[in-house]
Amino acid sequence: MSAKKGLFSIWMAILGIVVLIGLYTTYKLFTVGHVLFNTNDVIIWSLPLGVYIYLALASSGLTILAALPLVFGIRKYEPFAKRLVFLAIATLCGAFVSIGLELGNVFHMIYIMFSPNLSSPIWWMGAIYGLELIVLIVKFGLMHKGDWHSGFSKALATASFILALVAPLMIGSVFGITESRVTYFGPVMSIYCLLMAFMSGTALFLFYSLIVNKLTGNGVPTELYDEFALIFTFATAVVVGFTLLKFAIESATVVPEFLVYHQFEHAFGAIRGIHMEVLLGLFLPFVLLLFPSVRKSVGGKIAASALILTGTLFMHMEILLAGQSHPVGPKAEQYPEFINYFPSIWEFLVFLFALGVMLLLYSLGERFLKLTEAPE
Amino acid sequence: MPRYAMVIDLQRCVGCGACSIACRNENNVPEGIYWSNKITETVGTFPNVRHHYIPTLCNHCEYAPCVRGCPTQAMHKLDNGITMHDPKKCIGCKYCEFNCPYGVIYFNWKDPHQFWRNKNALLKGGTASPREEVKKVGAKKTPYDNPERGATLPANRSKGVVEKCTFCDHRVKKGLLPRCAEACPANARVFGDIKDPNSDVSKLLGKFRPFRLREQLGTNPHIFYIRDFNPAQYTQTKGGV
Repeated sequence: MSAKKGLFSIWMAILGIVVLIGLYTTYKLFTVGHVLFNTNDVIIWSLPLGVYIYLALASSGLTILAALPLVFGIRKYEPFAKRLVFLAIATLCGAFVSIGLELGNVFHMIYIMFSPNLSSPIWWMGAIYGLELIVLIVKFGLMHKGDWHSGFSKALATASFILALVAPLMIGSVFGITESRVTYFGPVMSIYCLLMAFMSGTALFLFYSLIVNKLTGNGVPTELYDEFALIFTFATAVVVGFTLLKFAIESATVVPEFLVYHQFEHAFGAIRGIHMEVLLGLFLPFVLLLFPSVRKSVGGKIAASALILTGTLFMHMEILLAGQSHPVGPKAEQYPEFINYFPSIWEFLVFLFALGVMLLLYSLGERFLKLTEAPE
Repeated sequence: MPRYAMVIDLQRCVGCGACSIACRNENNVPEGIYWSNKITETVGTFPNVRHHYIPTLCNHCEYAPCVRGCPTQAMHKLDNGITMHDPKKCIGCKYCEFNCPYGVIYFNWKDPHQFWRNKNALLKGGTASPREEVKKVGAKKTPYDNPERGATLPANRSKGVVEKCTFCDHRVKKGLLPRCAEACPANARVFGDIKDPNSDVSKLLGKFRPFRLREQLGTNPHIFYIRDFNPAQYTQTKGGV
C-alpha cells in the first residue's frame, strides 16, 4: 500500500513539474508571441490546434459512450458511467489548454460572449464545447452525490449527449466551409470528425481503464470490457469504411486543388499511396480487432487502442497540414511552393501541458472521486 | 450610402510597386506583412516566355468568408462595403486568414516594428541606432510612423492579432482616395462608388470586360481587373499540322 502511495506521489510530482513547465510556456507565449511556433502565414494552424481537435473529439466520443448507460439506460454499463463523464471533462480541459495557447489573444475571448457571430462555426464550436463542459461538470457533481436518475440528472445526460454529437460536426465545419481549401472536403469533414470522435473516445476509454485496472487491481468485471471492445471494433470499422471512401474520392477527382494536394499529403510517409498513419494507426488495429482472441485479451485491447490513439493524432495532423502546405494567392511571392513544417519545442511544450493537465485531472479523479461507483 | 470598389487597369500598371510602398507608409504595415501585394507569373518555355503581374489587396468581398467565420465580429463589414477589422475584438484564432481565398490577411506573430527598438548603432559613435532615429523624429514606433492611421484602427497593431487592407477607410472618411490609388504614377488604380452609374469605376466596368480573382467561389469580390499589358506582336498565321 505504501509503495503504491509512494508511486502516486512521484507521479503527482512529475505532473506538477509538467504543469509548471506549461505555465512557463504560457508566460513565454504571451510575452514573446506565437513567433515561438514554427508557423507562418501559410502554415497557420499547427500542432497545438491538431492536439485541440484530437482531445476535443476524444472528449465528445467519451460523452457519446457515456450516453449508453446514462441516456439509453443500459444499466450494466453504469459502473463505467462516472469514469466516462470524468474522463470527458478532463480531456476537454486538456483540449482547452491547447486551444487557449494557440490563440493569439486569449484575453479577448470575452467578445465570444459580448460580440457573438452566429454565422461562425468557430463561435458555435466554442459555445458548444463550453456549454458541454459545464453540463458535464454539473452532471458529474450530481452523480457523485448519488443523483443518477432524477429528471434533472437525466436531462443533463441527454443534453450532454446532444452537445457531444453536434460539437464534432462543428469542428468539421470549421474546415469544411472554407471556400479556399476544397481539400477539406466540405460536409464530409463534419461526418468524418463525428466518426473519429466516437472511435478515439472509445479507444481512450479502453486504453485508460485497462491500464488503471492493471495498476490498481480493482475495477469492473473484465467481460464488460469485451463488450466495449466490440463497440470499439464497430466504430473502427465505420472509420475504415469512411476512410476508404475518402481515398477513393480523392484519387478519382481532377479538381485542381486536389491535384496540388496530392503532392503534399504524405507528411508521415506512405506505402503505395496509402498514408502510413492510416496503415499503422487505423487499418492495422482494425485487422487486429477482427481476431476474437486479440479482442478478448487485455494486451490486445491495449495494443489496438494505443495504435488507434496514436494514429488518430497523426491523421488529424496530416489532414490539418496537407490543406495548408502551399501558399494561397500572393503569399506565393513570399513563400516557397511547399512549406516544410516540424513543430518547435514550444509547440511540443503546449502539447505536453495539455496532456499534463489532462493526466493530472485523471489521476486526482481516480484517486479521490470513486470513478467506478454505480447506483444500487 | 456608397459601395466602394476598385478597378485595376492592367494595361496601365507597370508593376513599379509604388502602391505597396505607399500603403506600407500610410498604414504602418510591419515587415513580412503585405496589405498591398502582387501575384506574378511566368508562362511559356524559353525563349517564348511572358511575365504577368497582378496587383492584389483585400477584395472587400460582399460575401466575405473572413467576416462570416470570425467568431467575435472583429472582422466586419461597414455600410460602405469595406471589410474592416477591429483588433480590440480579435482573439487571434487566425480563422479569417485560414479562410481568405485571396491570401491577403496576415497575423502578427511577434511585436511589430521590432527593428526600430534596437539600441545598437551599426557604427558605434558613427551612426544612430534605430531607436535613436525614431526618438529624433519624435515618432512612436518607426521614423515614418503615420499617426493619422490611428483615426479608425490602432495606428500600430499589436502581436497576436491579424491585419489587412481597409481601403484606407480613414482617408475615405475624409473624402480622400486610398493611398495606393493616389500614389499610382500610371493611374492604374481607379477607386469609387460602384452603385453610382456615373462614377469612373462604373464607367470602366461598362466599357471593358472585367475579371475578378477566384470569382467561381461566389464571394463577390470588389476588386475588378480590366485590360492587360501586352506589346507582343506576331505574324498572322493559321498554324500548321
